Amino acid sequence: MRAVVLPRRRYREARYAYATVLPVVLLVALFTIYPLLFAFVTSLREVVLYRPWSQPFVGLKNYLDVVRSEFFASAWVHTLTFVMGAVPLATVLGFAIAHLLNGRTRLAAWLNVTILLPWAIPTVISGIIWAWIFNSSYGAFNGALYSLGLINSYVPWLSRPRSALLCVLFAHVWKEVPLTSILYLAALQAIPDELYDAARVDGAGGLAILRRVTVPLLIPTTLIIVVYETMVGIVTFDLLYVMTGGGPAGATSLISYYLYNSMFVSYNFGQGAALAVLLAAALVVFILVYMRLLRSEEIYAT
Amino acid sequence: MRALVASLLVVLMLTVASALGATPVQLTFTVWSYSTDVILDNIKKFEAKYPGIKVSLQDFAWEKYTDVMTARFVGKTPTDLAYSSDHWLQQWAAANWIVPLEDYFPQVKAYKPDFAPYAIEGMTYKGKLYGLPYYADTIIFIYNEDMLKRAGFAKPPATWDEVTRMALAMKEKKIVEYPIMFQFQDITPWYIEVFLSMVYSYKDYQMFDANLNPIFDREGTAAHKVAQWLVDGMRKHKVINPASLETTEIPLVKAMGAGQVAFAVLPKYNLADLNTPGAHAQAGKFKMALMPGETHGTVGFVRFYAMTKMAADRGKAVQDAAWKFLEYFGGKTDGKFVVVKRWALEKGLGFAQLPLYKDPEIRAAINKWGNVSLEEEQAKVARAKEALTPFWGTWSLEFQKEMNRALLGQKSALDALKAAAAKWKEMKK
Repeated sequence: MRAVVLPRRRYREARYAYATVLPVVLLVALFTIYPLLFAFVTSLREVVLYRPWSQPFVGLKNYLDVVRSEFFASAWVHTLTFVMGAVPLATVLGFAIAHLLNGRTRLAAWLNVTILLPWAIPTVISGIIWAWIFNSSYGAFNGALYSLGLINSYVPWLSRPRSALLCVLFAHVWKEVPLTSILYLAALQAIPDELYDAARVDGAGGLAILRRVTVPLLIPTTLIIVVYETMVGIVTFDLLYVMTGGGPAGATSLISYYLYNSMFVSYNFGQGAALAVLLAAALVVFILVYMRLLRSEEIYAT
Repeated sequence: MRALVASLLVVLMLTVASALGATPVQLTFTVWSYSTDVILDNIKKFEAKYPGIKVSLQDFAWEKYTDVMTARFVGKTPTDLAYSSDHWLQQWAAANWIVPLEDYFPQVKAYKPDFAPYAIEGMTYKGKLYGLPYYADTIIFIYNEDMLKRAGFAKPPATWDEVTRMALAMKEKKIVEYPIMFQFQDITPWYIEVFLSMVYSYKDYQMFDANLNPIFDREGTAAHKVAQWLVDGMRKHKVINPASLETTEIPLVKAMGAGQVAFAVLPKYNLADLNTPGAHAQAGKFKMALMPGETHGTVGFVRFYAMTKMAADRGKAVQDAAWKFLEYFGGKTDGKFVVVKRWALEKGLGFAQLPLYKDPEIRAAINKWGNVSLEEEQAKVARAKEALTPFWGTWSLEFQKEMNRALLGQKSALDALKAAAAKWKEMKK
């Protein structure tokens, strides 16, 4: 028998539901929607801080200026290079470490503690530490390589465009791997043992179990990790600000650094806001692409 | 009973009134991190002299200072007094973040005859004085005398060619792999000051014409000579440490103190630190020379105490307290430049307050780690930076990035200057 819901009661319930979510909606509006709209409005004006008396409407000029700038292309090249290195490394290493942590070995207990250390250190502090490690005059990295006879003299790692980007990438992955490991570990522990038992009964070996059971079941977690790491990689700023200041010669200036430069160095908030809007749009595109590629329902179905 | 209640009310009112009257004026003072212990001690003494004023200190790294301050000003984070610098003045003043002291404290004009001309120029925007000097100094050439002697030279270099020749000799004798080092990280504010100091050591030093159009990007200009000398030193002669591109002031001073650098161009106060016994392995071996070049000219710069618009808007009581602070720290207290003198004696900071050069205590203190006569001689040929405009600070970062491209071999010295000139023209529009 179908329950009959009176219109008045339904209205009351709906009113209650809206009233319950209203505070959250207001908070989201205040801290997300308003800043987004404000950034968009700013991006359509010429807002230069040292000319506070004049903020004319300029339409899409800021967008055109940003896209035409030589730094826009180079910053995207650096950013994509960085992301293409950071995302696979953080994902694969996180997966490997999670496997070790999930095993019932002595190493797992030790790793459980040590793996969290990089995560516990604030990014700026880890940036300072890595800048010291890679320092050309007295860095531990040079010291170790020199002691092992691998180099004849200290190498200026942070003064060369390619190695500087690699150093920042290394520090970034070191910082991110604990998070990806823990996410994978949680996912691994949620896989029922019965599935592994059944696979073994069917004669599957270690690799086959990994391919046919573990990896497919970790697809949703992988999607989350890949999306998150891509976003973090694209907006990475503090680490390179501390380690290289975007140098040498802008070689580690990622798109986020370019944005920061426009706003806080050039004081051009109009262009900075335009760049922020473009960056947000790019992030949305990345997320949609990933979601399309890693749709877990379809992968499960195959 | 009524009398008792009335008496209690009177006592209560008096207590509240006295409590309100005793509430000190709170001032927030932002600085870049340098000898914070001395700053705190100065604040303590100031608060003891003026019990009605309390100062809260906030310090930030020098390399990030202007960024942090921009965020504070834009976000309206309470800031009443702040360190500022000649190369940010135009930007900060144009944005209305700091105020002309003359508009609020006309008595500040009386200090002008005491200040070095380059310092006044560096604190003036649209004809008005915006600060009282924290310190003013010159960029100087520092060398390790011991290394120079070991290389067979009795005198410091007088020209940039001599610097190269001596550096090559040191390299050949394996005294040091890279005798010269600079602080050329992309974003360090000292980069442009060091570069300009080298440019100002030439006769035709001008970077801009009378209408502020760049002329430094022409072949054969002083800027071109300096840029080419740097590129050759790093890429051809290999006497300039390639790690210069990641180096900022403190690591450079440490490398020099450790004996890894023979020649450097640095703000003068570093000489005091380098020669402080026990502070560095090579302490005591460092000397200053006049800036090599045709005229030995250099940059004279000023860092100063500024009052923010936020402080001005807080009303008369805060303005009065701010003036007391400004005068105590950058001006005279009981007829003497107390704080400025302390910085000079204890830390070797230079000063804009010219009467201090006659102070025998200061002369003796400078001679312990430096050479007061040479310092005066260098100061005489120091000049303020040209073409300080609201976009100068922004442009200097672009300039630095372009120069580093030349140092990395990505473009020629002249092309780097042309790119920097194009940036200037774009910003000037």
